[in-house]
Amino acid sequence: MESITILLVLLGLMFVLLGAGVWIGLSLMAVAAFAIDIFAGRPAGDSIATTIWSSSSSWMLTSLPMFIWMGDILLCTKLSEDLFRGLAPLMGRIPGGLLHTNVMGCTIFGSVSGSSAATLSTVAKMTIPELKKRNYPEPLIIGTLAGPATLGLMIPPSIIMVVYGVMTNESIAAINIAGVIPGLVLAGLFMAYIIVKTKTMRGYAPDVEPQVGLWEKFAAARRLIPVFVLLFVVIGSMFAGYATATESAAVGVAGAFFLAWWQGTLNWKSFSDSLMSATMASAMIALILAAASGLSLAMGFLGLPEALAQWVGSLHLTAFWLIMSLLLLYIVLGCFLDGISCVALTIAIIEPMVRQAGIDMIWFGIFVVLVVEMAQITPPVGFNLFVLQSMTGHDMFKIAWWAFPQFLIMAVMVFVLIAIPELATWLPKQMIPVRV
Amino acid sequence: MVAAAVEQPPVITRQISALRTIRRGLDALYLWSAYLAAASMAMILVITMAQIFSRYAGINIRGLSDYAGYFMAASAFLAFPLALNRGAHVRIELLLGLMGRFRHCGEVIAFGISAAIASWFAYYACAMVYWSWKFGDISTGLDATPLWIPQCAMAFGAALFAVAAAGQFLQLLWTGAHTIAPSSSIE
Repeated sequence: MESITILLVLLGLMFVLLGAGVWIGLSLMAVAAFAIDIFAGRPAGDSIATTIWSSSSSWMLTSLPMFIWMGDILLCTKLSEDLFRGLAPLMGRIPGGLLHTNVMGCTIFGSVSGSSAATLSTVAKMTIPELKKRNYPEPLIIGTLAGPATLGLMIPPSIIMVVYGVMTNESIAAINIAGVIPGLVLAGLFMAYIIVKTKTMRGYAPDVEPQVGLWEKFAAARRLIPVFVLLFVVIGSMFAGYATATESAAVGVAGAFFLAWWQGTLNWKSFSDSLMSATMASAMIALILAAASGLSLAMGFLGLPEALAQWVGSLHLTAFWLIMSLLLLYIVLGCFLDGISCVALTIAIIEPMVRQAGIDMIWFGIFVVLVVEMAQITPPVGFNLFVLQSMTGHDMFKIAWWAFPQFLIMAVMVFVLIAIPELATWLPKQMIPVRV
Repeated sequence: MVAAAVEQPPVITRQISALRTIRRGLDALYLWSAYLAAASMAMILVITMAQIFSRYAGINIRGLSDYAGYFMAASAFLAFPLALNRGAHVRIELLLGLMGRFRHCGEVIAFGISAAIASWFAYYACAMVYWSWKFGDISTGLDATPLWIPQCAMAFGAALFAVAAAGQFLQLLWTGAHTIAPSSSIE
C-alpha cells in the first residue's frame, strides 16, 4: 500500500510538471531525482548522471540516429513524386481509386522514414492536391491519410520500436521484424475500408482514371523499384542475420545516399540539411530516453514496478483484461503525449507487470506501437492532426472526426492482434541470429 | 541634470549591446556545438561501416562498438542546446494555451523550473567527469578508453543546454518573450 501511495505522489508530480509546460525529458528527470532523493533517501545526482551516461553511450542506441538519417536523406530526393506517379496507374481503376495511393504511399514511405509525421507530410504534399483536382471527397482524402500515415511507426525500420527495444532490452531487430505482418494486415484493413466506404457512399463520384495498359503500369511501377530494393536490403539483412539493427541502418543510410546520388539530388546542401535535421530529431528523442533511464533507476531503487506487479497480480486479472486496461491507459495518455514520450514514461513502470502476466514482450511491443498509432490521431494532442491542420487549414477536431473511422480500424486491429498473437510473434522466430 | 540626462542613454545602450554580443556569441556556440553533434553522428556511420567491412574481411578491430556509443552520447548532448532553441524538444503547451492572459506567468514558471532542472543535471554531469578523471576510470569494454574523455562531450553539452535554458528564461523575464522556434512536431 505504501508503494502505491509513493507511486501516486510521483505520478502527481509528473503530471503537474508536464502540464505546466516543462520539457518532457526534464520533467522525467526531475521526478527521478525527487524519487531517489526523497523516497529512497539516497543522493540522486551522481547516480542519475552515471545512469544517463551509460544509457546514452550504449551501442544499442546508435541505430536510432541512423534510421532517422536514412529517412531524412530520402525525404530530400524525388521519392514522393515517384511514389505517386508509380502508384497512381496501378490503383486508378480499383474501387476507391486513387485513395489507395494514400494508403500504399504511407505504407512504403512509412517504412522508409520510420516516423509518422514525416510520412504524413511527405505523402500528403503529393496526394492532397492531386486527389482534390480529381474531385475526391475531402473528408475521405484527409481521413485516409491521417490513419495510414501512422503505419510509419509499425512497418520497419521504425524509430519508436528502437526506443521500445532500448527500454526493454529486447532485440531491436526482432521487434522491427515483428512489425512487418501486423503493418501489412493493418494496411489491408485500411484499403478494405476504402473499398467498402466508396462503394456505399452516396454522391461519391471522382473523375475516373484513364484506362492504362499493362505495359504502362509496369513502366510506371519501375519508379518504385529502387526504394523497394533499399528496403529489402535493410529489412532483409536484419532478418537473415547478415547485420545487426545498427549495421542494417548504416547500410540504409549508405543506400539512401546512393539513391540520392543516382537521382542527382545529392549535393552539399541536401547532405548537410539531412544530417542537421536528423541530429535535431535524434537529440529530441535522446533527451527523453536519457531521462527515462533515470526514471527506470529511480523506480528500481524504490521497487515500485515490482510492487505494482504484485498488486496487479493479486487482482487475478486475466492477461486479456490487463491488456484492456493498458489499452485504456495508452489511449488516455496518447491524447496528451506523443508516442515516444508515452513509451518512455510507461515502460519503466509497467514492464515487470507485463512480464509477470506472461505476456510476450515482442508482442507487447507491437501492441504498444499500435496503440501509440491510435494516439497520433486523437485530439487534443495528436501529431498527425497537427500536421494536417497546418497543411490544410481545417480545424483539428474536424480532421479528427474525419479520421475517426481509421481510429476504429486500428481498435479492431488491436483485437485481431489479441486473437492471433502469431501475427506479431511468428516472423521474429524465423529470424537467423547474427553471426558476430 | 542636463549632463546626466545626456549621459544616461549611452550607458543603457552599451549594456544592451553588451548583452547582444553575449547572445550572438552564445548562439554561435550553440550552432558549433550542434555541428560537432552532427559530425559525431556521421562518425557513427563511419564506424558502423568499418565494423561491417572488418567483420566480413575477417579483421577484428577492438572496441569499435564502444566508440560508436561514445559518439552517440556526443551527438545527442552536443545537439541539446540548439535543439532547445529550434523547438525540437517536446513539451505540452495545452494547458498554457488555456491560461489566456496568465499564459506569460505560466511560461515563466515552466521556463524557470526547466532551467533549474537542466542546471542541476549539468552540475552532476560535470561532477561525473571530474570523478572519472580523478579515479582514472577506464571503460570496461575492449576499447579501454579513459572514460572522462568521451564523458566531456556529455558534460559540455549538458552545461550548454543549461545555459540555453537559463538564457531563454532570462529573456522571457526581461523582454517578455522567449525565442524558441515553434515546435516542428518531429516524431
